[in-house]
Amino acid sequence: MIKQRSNLRTPFVLCVAILACFSTPTFAQGILGGHVTGNIQLDGQISRRDTIIGSNDVPEKLLTNARADILYTNGDFSAGLRYEAYLNPMLGFNNQYKGQGIANYFVSYKTQDFAITAGHYYEQFGNGLTLRAYEDRYLGLDNALFGLNVMYRPWKGVTFKGLIGRQRVYWGMGEGIVRGLDGELNLNEIVKPWEESRTRITLGGSFVSKYEDDETILSEISGYKLNLPKNIGAGSVRLDLSHGGFGLQAEYALKGQDPNIMNNYIYRTGQALWLSASYSQKGLSANIQAKRVDNMGFKSVRSQTGEMLYINYIPAITKQHTYAFLSMYPYATQSAGEMGLQGDFMYKFKKETLLGGKYGTDLHINASLIRGLDSTIVGGRGTEGYTSTFFGTGDLYYGDLSIELAKKLSNKLKLTTTYGYVAFNPIVEGHAGDIHHNHVVIGDLTWKINKKNVIRFEAEWMGSDSHYDADIDDKRCGDWIMGLVEYNFTSAWFVSLSDQYAYHDGIGNYYNISVGYTKGATRLQLGYGKQREGIICIGGVCRQVPASNGLTFSLTTSF
Amino acid sequence: MKKAILSILAISALVFSSCDRIENENRLIFSGAVGEWYDGSPVEDHTHRALLEKYTGVRCVNCPNADIEISNALQHFGHSLIAVSIHDSCTFTRPYEGDPDMRTPDGNELSHFFGVFNGDYPNALVSRTKKTTGEWDLFTPTAGVDSHVEPIVNAPATIALDVTAQAVDNDGNITIKASIEFLESCSDTLALTLFVMEDGIIASQLSKEGKINGYVHNHILRDIITDWQGTEIKADGNAGECRYAIFQYKIDTTLWNPENCHIVAFVSNKNTMLVLNAAECSIE
Repeated sequence: MIKQRSNLRTPFVLCVAILACFSTPTFAQGILGGHVTGNIQLDGQISRRDTIIGSNDVPEKLLTNARADILYTNGDFSAGLRYEAYLNPMLGFNNQYKGQGIANYFVSYKTQDFAITAGHYYEQFGNGLTLRAYEDRYLGLDNALFGLNVMYRPWKGVTFKGLIGRQRVYWGMGEGIVRGLDGELNLNEIVKPWEESRTRITLGGSFVSKYEDDETILSEISGYKLNLPKNIGAGSVRLDLSHGGFGLQAEYALKGQDPNIMNNYIYRTGQALWLSASYSQKGLSANIQAKRVDNMGFKSVRSQTGEMLYINYIPAITKQHTYAFLSMYPYATQSAGEMGLQGDFMYKFKKETLLGGKYGTDLHINASLIRGLDSTIVGGRGTEGYTSTFFGTGDLYYGDLSIELAKKLSNKLKLTTTYGYVAFNPIVEGHAGDIHHNHVVIGDLTWKINKKNVIRFEAEWMGSDSHYDADIDDKRCGDWIMGLVEYNFTSAWFVSLSDQYAYHDGIGNYYNISVGYTKGATRLQLGYGKQREGIICIGGVCRQVPASNGLTFSLTTSF
Repeated sequence: MKKAILSILAISALVFSSCDRIENENRLIFSGAVGEWYDGSPVEDHTHRALLEKYTGVRCVNCPNADIEISNALQHFGHSLIAVSIHDSCTFTRPYEGDPDMRTPDGNELSHFFGVFNGDYPNALVSRTKKTTGEWDLFTPTAGVDSHVEPIVNAPATIALDVTAQAVDNDGNITIKASIEFLESCSDTLALTLFVMEDGIIASQLSKEGKINGYVHNHILRDIITDWQGTEIKADGNAGECRYAIFQYKIDTTLWNPENCHIVAFVSNKNTMLVLNAAECSIE
């Protein structure tokens, strides 16, 4: 159940009044010894019906998302607010954002050893396994906490954080109250003989608890409802160790009984383990990451579905691909349960060697593998739910491999070639179907004509064993080709033309043209074309994007 | 420094204690009030009882006369008649200073729904029957109620209903069990409604002779445990089939006298609202 009590649009009168005065052009800078900074973003979209790609007419004709962040700082004091407007929300953004108002406001006092923020704030403990309040405008996600956040460093190398608040959900507040404590010890600063040591050690621990009132959740046994825990805690310990080029980070988190809609109201405790080991030196770096997540979805409202009101965050250990076909199947982190492994290796072949040639060659290899847990169901709602073996694995969820070679051919030409392989189980997006196996080949050539003119050519091919099925309607299926030409000229303008075409066993022809202009801190971009429906993910957190066909524009500026 | 450490430890202890653990045997609690039904045992008593809902008020001068008529009818029909006095929020029901307030939001809902609100008081309806014209068969109970009750109680019941209530503790928590047996096959959607009633409420009452101090009000509707339109009885019933449900409820012991409270249950047609049978019980 989404419970919304207070309205974020209610202005924080004092804060707004102060900032309204200070943000006039006359007071743009140097007000009472402080200054005002900010940034503004306006995105718009006009989309029309296209039966082939599945886009629909937009009744409003024009959809816009806008925001303006304004920050006033004066020495150790700062105050800020954010105006947001969704009139109406662009395609893919939740309709509950519809409206406009002051979505975020705060006052803060910060010194080197002490900080306090009242109002909206973002915070992260460790890697986020117990708490991460953050926002990502491109995902339409904002888990800001509204309350009080305190940081205190009583001694050198010792940092404590404490917070309490409720989370934003669209224009309201989730009913649950979140409380958290975090402590971090930098041993090199605490232990004097270790101050100059090459071995750096930081230890940390956190505890987060949420309170939520009772509600009626029926058991699977007629006539009974669940006796729900009202206070749910999660704690973690972490280590950050480095020695020269070596690094090791680890965090283990445990969550108490938390029956919620994501786990079908089972009483099993949750746990997560995250490990990362790395080595780097000039021209070489290697990193390996592993994680095991078991029933770690942690929200401040137990019956909330979707991406909002997450208290914690499970870090993604798959590469955030940038090329279109490699990122066509992004992986969504499964907080219910998964085991994963990722390896990343970068090496620079030196100049004047066989593989390095005249300018050197960069090799980048990345591979990841995510599987479900090896679990056995022992009951439904109101029970432990399932058991799982710690090292056992279940179904394949996702696997990928990318090998990228980047080579400067001359002073003006740089070529990047990539081979990629992706195996994707559609079950992670919540629908059935066979695992898709895709092979991707990419060529990317950048021609620097002169200092102010650069042309980039990109060609991609993807062969897949998936076939378009009208019943499932996954428009990513099939074999694809793509071409892109991007021209940057006078350092201020760019024009880009691209087309993605499903030439075999797929559906759709997605062409796009964009023009952009940048002057100082202001950037304007116009685009026209077709957008395939699908999912975009950032850091393992995803948003469904419907198909669109039409004009898009974006204006960003800062002051 | 010492204070800082103690403060941190105290806060840590407070936060760490903020974590509930519910053992396996305590994870489920009774909650039938959402209308969860399962098979039950047959109902022994197949009596067809009439439900008399009387709309009344402490400032209604004719209402004491209606109480006399209803009291006579209760003696005449015995346990085949169940009486309920409903106080809505019209001008006749405003309590006198210092007296208990017998008005309820549910009473308001019923009064508005049946077209009584701000009309004639007292007013009555037996088993939510309708006239041949389709209007609710409302009548003024001061002229007697027998002619409205007799056709109901003389007709055979199509549903047998039984209700029992037991106190769980001394805080007003009670468990109510309702049993239904289909005496005839039924394909209509049915609803069960549970009223919490209180007898022996002392409050002033206006009469033709003037204000009567210390008037005893009986059969007063205090609350409706289910939705005021009843909770749906799931699944059609064939003759001989039984349904059974458990409800939990907490009596407001700060405002009501639990020893004088009892439960009224009735099964009605969800669409027509016609009451098919009713039952009442004290809280054991």
